[in-house]
Amino acid sequence: MLKSWKLKEVVLMSLFSVVFGIVYLLFLHVGNIWSGFIGPIAYEWIFGIWFIVSIICMYIIRKPGAAVISETIAAAVEVLLGNAVGPRLILAGVIQGLGAEAAFAATRYRRFDIWVLMLAGVGASVFSFVYGYFMGGFTVFSTGYVLLMFGLRIVSGAMIAGVGGKAVVDGLLATGSLRGYAITRSKKGEARA
Amino acid sequence: MKSALHNMNPSVKFVLVTICMFTLAFFFNPWTPLFVWMGVIMMQLLFSRIDWKMWMLFMIPFVIMAFGYFWTTLVFAEDKSGPVVLSVWSMHITEVQLNHALSLSFRVLAFSGLSLLFALTTNPVSFILSLMQQMRLSPKIAYSILVGYQFLPVLKDEFVQIQQAHRLRGAVQEKNVFRRLLNMRKILLPMLAGAVRKAERAAFAMEARGFTGEKRKSFYTIIHVGKVDGYMVSLFMLLIVLSCTSVLYIN
Repeated sequence: MLKSWKLKEVVLMSLFSVVFGIVYLLFLHVGNIWSGFIGPIAYEWIFGIWFIVSIICMYIIRKPGAAVISETIAAAVEVLLGNAVGPRLILAGVIQGLGAEAAFAATRYRRFDIWVLMLAGVGASVFSFVYGYFMGGFTVFSTGYVLLMFGLRIVSGAMIAGVGGKAVVDGLLATGSLRGYAITRSKKGEARA
Repeated sequence: MKSALHNMNPSVKFVLVTICMFTLAFFFNPWTPLFVWMGVIMMQLLFSRIDWKMWMLFMIPFVIMAFGYFWTTLVFAEDKSGPVVLSVWSMHITEVQLNHALSLSFRVLAFSGLSLLFALTTNPVSFILSLMQQMRLSPKIAYSILVGYQFLPVLKDEFVQIQQAHRLRGAVQEKNVFRRLLNMRKILLPMLAGAVRKAERAAFAMEARGFTGEKRKSFYTIIHVGKVDGYMVSLFMLLIVLSCTSVLYIN
């Protein structure tokens, strides 16, 4: 699978992961302090921020695996940055990435419009919630509370990761620095058609 | 002996810590996570030379988080069976509820203890090298991660620079938290654009020096799996077995 990847694409994912690794850490601290007051639900409405890297990278690079690999790299980088959540994060990253990847795979990596990006955010939300349900021991919470958490996470995944991710990449595209990546090529193709 | 945890193979430590966490996820009694947490602290006291001040600092947010879990579980519990042990205002807290709440909070603490054990005793670079040598991570990904890691200080400087540039041009910092979050885009975009350029340059430089990303058999820095790994794995397994069976002899 990695054969078709150019080195600059892999390094790009890694550098994006570092930038977002810093953002993630920031949000982690915000979430941690919040969660002391309002419980684990504090994370749910900002959870989409953790999926954003996979959606951004897939939207730019458009190759099978871009979502999983980028999210995994982001998690690894976060661990390297001295994150106290530690190794568990890498596993969580793989699972979130798989969720986003599933949405792109379902459209056979052909469509990259806002709806598919939002779907990818939802996919990541669903996958990560199942994992969190198990690791966080959510079984002890009442059904209504769990459903509320789940709903908040899905909305957050679709809005922050899907819509937010698209906004970031579109802004980046306007700077002209993405020349040489699949996203620019496809935009040209659309113009010609 | 004081450096056993530092000398462990990072991949082995990584797998070990992950297994411990997964095992904990199956337990809903307060004792198992509590014993794991205490065991992990003991382990660090005996086999590592970590900075305990740092450890405390990292632990604070998790203690807050554990408290959040504690009261949430009490208020939004699913299973409210068992005898009532505590009554606060008009709320009756049953034994099952209290056990679950304590269990989840101790689980948060045990998870963070395990994570800190990993984070504070592992060299990031040798962790990635070990993933490549022992876990067959593709060199293309491994070295790219290391490139990103080396760029961290540069990106940090850039972050400060962009902020200062904004201030120089008279951009005021928003007081409103939500506005400030939206304004993050103004800093994020130049940083990402810079990251794209840096990635291209770094990749070009690597390829120019003959890096192909092929799997290889020999490495410059070799990360070993040694005897110390065997000892530590057995110690951890002992800790896990003891804590998991603790329910049997405590009740």
